Amino acid sequence: MSSSNDYKKTVDAAIANPKLSKALHLFGDSYLIARENAYKGLDFEEMRNELSDMKDEVRINRKQLLAEFVKNAEAAGSTVFLAKDTKEANDYVIRLAKDKGATLIAKSKSMVSEEAHFNKAVAAHGIRAAETDLGEWIVQLAGQRPSHMVMPAIHMFKEEVAELFSKESGEPISPEINTLVNHARTRLRKEYFDADIGLTGANFLVANTGGIGLVTNEGNARLCATLPKVHVVFASIHKLVRNMEDAIKITRLLPRNATGQLLTSYVTWIKGCVPTDGEQKEQHIILIDGGREALYESKTCQDALKCIQCGACANVCPVFQTVGGHVFGSIYISAIGVILTAFYEGLDKAKDITRACIGCRSCVAVCPSKIDLEEIILHLKSEVTKEYGMGVIKNVAFKAIMKNRGLFHSMVRAASKLQLPVTHKNRVPGQQRIIRHLPLHFMEKDFTEWRDLPAIAAKSFRDQFDNIPQTLFNPDYRVGFFVGCGGDFVYPEVGVALIKVLNSLNVEVVFPKGQSCCGIPALYSGDTATGIDLAKQSVEALSEEDLDYILCICPTCTMGVKRDFVDRLADHPQWAAKARALAEKTMDASAFLENILGASNKLDCVAPGESVTYHDSCHLKRGSDVWKEPRALLNSIGHEVVEMKNSDRCCGFGGTYSFLGQPQISKQITADKVDTIKTTGVKTVAMDCPGCMIMLKGAVGKADDSIRCVHTIELLAEAIDKKKKQN
Amino acid sequence: MTEKYLEKFTTTAKRVGAVVLQLDSLQDAANYISSTTQGLTLVPETPLARRHSLRSLLQDAGVDVFDGNFREAGHFPAGGVTFCNFCMADSGTVVLESTDEDIRLATTLPEVHFIIVDPAKILVDNLAAVAPMTTMHEGSDPLFVAYITGPSRTADVERVLTIGCHGPRELHILLVNNISNDLMEN
Repeated sequence: MSSSNDYKKTVDAAIANPKLSKALHLFGDSYLIARENAYKGLDFEEMRNELSDMKDEVRINRKQLLAEFVKNAEAAGSTVFLAKDTKEANDYVIRLAKDKGATLIAKSKSMVSEEAHFNKAVAAHGIRAAETDLGEWIVQLAGQRPSHMVMPAIHMFKEEVAELFSKESGEPISPEINTLVNHARTRLRKEYFDADIGLTGANFLVANTGGIGLVTNEGNARLCATLPKVHVVFASIHKLVRNMEDAIKITRLLPRNATGQLLTSYVTWIKGCVPTDGEQKEQHIILIDGGREALYESKTCQDALKCIQCGACANVCPVFQTVGGHVFGSIYISAIGVILTAFYEGLDKAKDITRACIGCRSCVAVCPSKIDLEEIILHLKSEVTKEYGMGVIKNVAFKAIMKNRGLFHSMVRAASKLQLPVTHKNRVPGQQRIIRHLPLHFMEKDFTEWRDLPAIAAKSFRDQFDNIPQTLFNPDYRVGFFVGCGGDFVYPEVGVALIKVLNSLNVEVVFPKGQSCCGIPALYSGDTATGIDLAKQSVEALSEEDLDYILCICPTCTMGVKRDFVDRLADHPQWAAKARALAEKTMDASAFLENILGASNKLDCVAPGESVTYHDSCHLKRGSDVWKEPRALLNSIGHEVVEMKNSDRCCGFGGTYSFLGQPQISKQITADKVDTIKTTGVKTVAMDCPGCMIMLKGAVGKADDSIRCVHTIELLAEAIDKKKKQN
Repeated sequence: MTEKYLEKFTTTAKRVGAVVLQLDSLQDAANYISSTTQGLTLVPETPLARRHSLRSLLQDAGVDVFDGNFREAGHFPAGGVTFCNFCMADSGTVVLESTDEDIRLATTLPEVHFIIVDPAKILVDNLAAVAPMTTMHEGSDPLFVAYITGPSRTADVERVLTIGCHGPRELHILLVNNISNDLMEN
């Protein structure tokens, strides 16, 4: 249906209209504050672990729980219909409506009805479905689909809403929010009274009662379930919970995580056929599979069904904030939308949005069901690549070159010579040469239009290591250094600085030369085979000697070793144990310095009280939970850390994402980061990731070359140097 | 049951936009309702309403208590008055078993919902509601239970919080002692 070219056009259109993006940013910021307040005094981690376990139980026992629900619901008078797909569900309602002579259905929010294209399906039979949720009604009038699960019309502005309402009612309605809400209140009240059938979704299907639970704010679901004499519940099977207790526990997470509310205005529990106008109501519960059983059976993706549909993954997603839910999603949007689209609508429909995920893991950090969305999307990326390929450039780069370590490294060496004609002196004296314009006419967009690119270092770290003297007689630790491509070929000075810092604390650094790229660029592009190959090369090299720890200066490499090496090699018997042992002792350099060495109490050197702002790298904070450590280290050498707004928001790099994948989205995300850095007024930005350095040095450099971007380890080494000079 | 959660409940309920008042008697509640609302008021006959003669108390105080089928009181009756089963202090929520359709109509249609709460019925938090909720759900009789937290709201237009979307625009919680401490009745 949608080709990749169409997708690119929608991205360009979204970026050309910054009004929406601005609104989504404002919303994202206020959401974070509201959410934090809502969880005060509660242990989010504990709560989400519990929810995740609950949902595992449901998955394992779903057949029994479903049977229990049906039995209890029928005992309370409900008619239950199991629909294998959305078409069966639609057909059931159409038949029911015809039996009753019904022509109007008052409908409250049901996401699975969006999946079913319910309104269109019933309209074909002369039945009108009236959306009563304000956002859904707006979207219905506009002939669109929701762009957010909780706030369907988040992409629209009051003037547009006023225009829709005026057109529908035939009278002018002014674009004031109160007026608009009042109009909907009056106009839609009639629908509940006139409707023959009321249709609601369900947030919970409670197995041991046979009842449903509805979590809402506006009050429309209560009216839909009360006024019409027939109540249809349109729900998907993964809403099952074991009992009231589980459902109530979810009500503690859902509103807090969705909107920062302690509880929504209404939570409504309905069991069976309650009285209506002197008789018994007729209640039909339609339980829809629609691809969920297949998703439950997918070992790598099944956790997606733990979703309680709070929408938080969108609220914090830098890609969603940049392009909105109509671009980054389908029926379901943002991270969870990527996964559900692949399963419910097919991989073809999902391929572009799968690649649009930048992998920053901000969704993982806020998910109330503890779904590792990023990891599932990573698996899908590999499926997309298997099915559709990853493009010529990546094919050559990953398969032909990177798999072969010797070839890869000699090509980089050659490139460091060949690039000279396009490199320039850095605007900042003494800093590495940069590339301001690339003569790559075959590329769609000039990579360097909005940022400088770093040149490949004249001499890689691996070519410098042997010449760095380390004179320690009885070191406390011997650590292996997993340098990573950025540290090896772009910023070898960070590795040199690391040796200086560690030596000063009596730690010897070993550099196993057989190591290669961590493979994450290949994995993120869906090339699992190359990922496995590279994992083996580095596991072999880093396990050769008996080392106390393995340190990285790139958090993506750390995640590569700790998560991906273990995952990718789990089914390779001769590798699995080695990979696990390696993962156990691998960490980021600043985590080692602070947590193992206690360096902030030992670094006997003080910088001259400079202000530094700190950028949290996605994979450092959300991959390794390291964020206090670099701040403690910077403070200990006399720097004052001035916090920037949203310090842990992605810088827009995302590896190949910013070059080959989605450079236009990347550019916008980076622009946000540059703005927040400039707002601090601080002239030094510290970070712990060469990827972020590539992005920010380039973009900040183009925006304001008086701001310096630097690795934390380099600042530590500078402080040591200063101290030496003083003595 | 104690009244120790009263303060917390009052704070959280006010924070979500409810009006919370402590009154000395049902008579005072009736007078307050009479002075606050004008127009048709839906007062469902529940066990507590009967026991405390709520309808006549309100009528005598001058409230226009609607007599007849609640579905015929118009699309927007002025008020609705109910008791409650219990409350939850942590979120400022009132819980009302509403299987009787009149209770549902009296709490969804009106512009203002007055709810009379005995402070003895306030539970510490929504986890403490698991037990009474489980008890209510025992057996296979049809059941409708409403958690109500503040007035109806929406943020669907430009994410701006707006009160009074499809449910009552105002929620007035009237705290009166010695009504009932039985969580199963309202």
